[in-house]
Amino acid sequence: MGKKIKLVDICYARAGDKGDISNIGLIAKTTEYYDIIKSKVTPEKVKDFFGDIVKGKVEVYPLDNLESLEIVMYGALDGGATGSLRIDGTGKPLATALLRMEIEA
Amino acid sequence: MDVKKVSIGSGSLMWGDIIEPGLEMIEKADIDYICYDWLAEVTMSVLYIQKTKNKDAGYPPRFIEWMKKVLPLAKQKGVKIVTNAGGANVEGACSALKEALNANNISGVKIGSILGDDITSDINNFRKEGIKFTNIDTGEEDIDRIKDSIVGAYVYLGAEGIVECLEGGADIVIGGRLADNALYVGPWIHEFGWDHNNSQHIDKIGAAITCGHIIECSCCCTGGMMCSQWDKVPEPWNVGYPIAELYENGDAVITKTPDTGGIVNSWTVKEHLLYEVHDPKNYIMPDGIADFTTLKLEDAGHDVVKVSNMSGKKRPDKLKVGIGYTDGWKQELQHWFCWPDALKKAKHCEYILKEWLKRQKINLEKIEIDYMGFNMAHLSLVKIPDIDGAKDLPEVGIRICAKFKTKEEAEYFREHAMIWSAPQAGYVFNTTTAPAKPVPIIKLWPTLVPRDAIHIKTDIKEV
Repeated sequence: MGKKIKLVDICYARAGDKGDISNIGLIAKTTEYYDIIKSKVTPEKVKDFFGDIVKGKVEVYPLDNLESLEIVMYGALDGGATGSLRIDGTGKPLATALLRMEIEA
Repeated sequence: MDVKKVSIGSGSLMWGDIIEPGLEMIEKADIDYICYDWLAEVTMSVLYIQKTKNKDAGYPPRFIEWMKKVLPLAKQKGVKIVTNAGGANVEGACSALKEALNANNISGVKIGSILGDDITSDINNFRKEGIKFTNIDTGEEDIDRIKDSIVGAYVYLGAEGIVECLEGGADIVIGGRLADNALYVGPWIHEFGWDHNNSQHIDKIGAAITCGHIIECSCCCTGGMMCSQWDKVPEPWNVGYPIAELYENGDAVITKTPDTGGIVNSWTVKEHLLYEVHDPKNYIMPDGIADFTTLKLEDAGHDVVKVSNMSGKKRPDKLKVGIGYTDGWKQELQHWFCWPDALKKAKHCEYILKEWLKRQKINLEKIEIDYMGFNMAHLSLVKIPDIDGAKDLPEVGIRICAKFKTKEEAEYFREHAMIWSAPQAGYVFNTTTAPAKPVPIIKLWPTLVPRDAIHIKTDIKEV
């Protein structure tokens, strides 16, 4: 078992919206951290972490050139910016919410 | 030999942006074009509702006020303007602009307009021709379920109309739902004579799409919205807006208005490159499909980032369509409680509310109840503390948002708020903010339409 790391300590994150889809850019603070998130931040792990917040599938795309991951979460905005009952229907805070996630490195 | 370059600045990212940075850019920076994006999914819904109520409305009137100041300066500096501020009513926006320019004795301005994005009245005909408008997010195949509640349907248009208007000598080009990105790609295609169907130009158009994407949200790539260095931005009260200098060979430089606050470096650019992207190898826009995984960012001086090795693929055969449809009403309420037992009082409020709802005939479709200061942003990821362990919290707020089928039900709900908000001693009576009114919910149905089915029309009128 490796030690547990919280994403907030090794990444920055920025979220945007398209319809009911939330997409999060997860940016590693260093090359070493990028290697860690690339292997550990999987669609299954992200889906499990968000629980009832994300109703649909999760996709994770790596960008080696930017040492970042693009995380796409379907059914994540309670119907989308225009239909959501949440305070922020665009789901901007979901980026920092993801930084609460712990991974084993 | 010098490589030709064309510089485009971003003047706004949405309706709620501010006018000054764009004016300062036109005044101080060496730019050829400035683009004003005024639209978003939420904005389009609002504009289509406005147009339903009043056929002359449907565009942001504030944009006309802006142009009274921007146009004379832009004309003097030789800077052209491209915008999607026509919203749901391009003709309305153009007439209002003409009137405003005449009234202010501003003349010699050629206004180019682009129609053809609003397909609201064509939906039935398209369906007869066999186009089903499958929801690209949910996979739902046919719009039959929502066809009677559609408020508007609009196509995300690409560069063609912009290029036509610029070829016709327009000083300002006004469209409706031009893709944010096309506002930038249009002038670059026009200036460099690039062709969507020429294989030699595909990577270059990919570069234009990438550069447009980097700067189209104004201050978001110059320190106005950052997750990495937000506390290190110089003069954050005076952030300069971004400029992309694209060279004919497909390389670019990202910078900002000189002598302003803010910051441009490979971190600010990287952050925004990742914004609202799905598959980064296939960033699909009406003018092409950019690949963000090949490019290289390089810090090349103070507030200067070089972008090279950008690439792309041929434009898609289908265009994205947004269909807005009504889906009930929502009513939001916020109540605050103070020490002692602030959390206990907020929980008591929730308890009374739920008991009251059980005893009503109104048809509650959905409700969101958040504890402000705890889980309004991160939702179920944050646990609300036990009441016993939170006795001394100074203040706790509760936010309630409920959805009903009708406006009347939403109003009835709001009118009874004192039942659950007032019983607890320590309720903070808000005397400054009027309670929110019921808001119609307009949901978005994202779909596609064949490119060949869409016909745009451009026009140029001189004031």
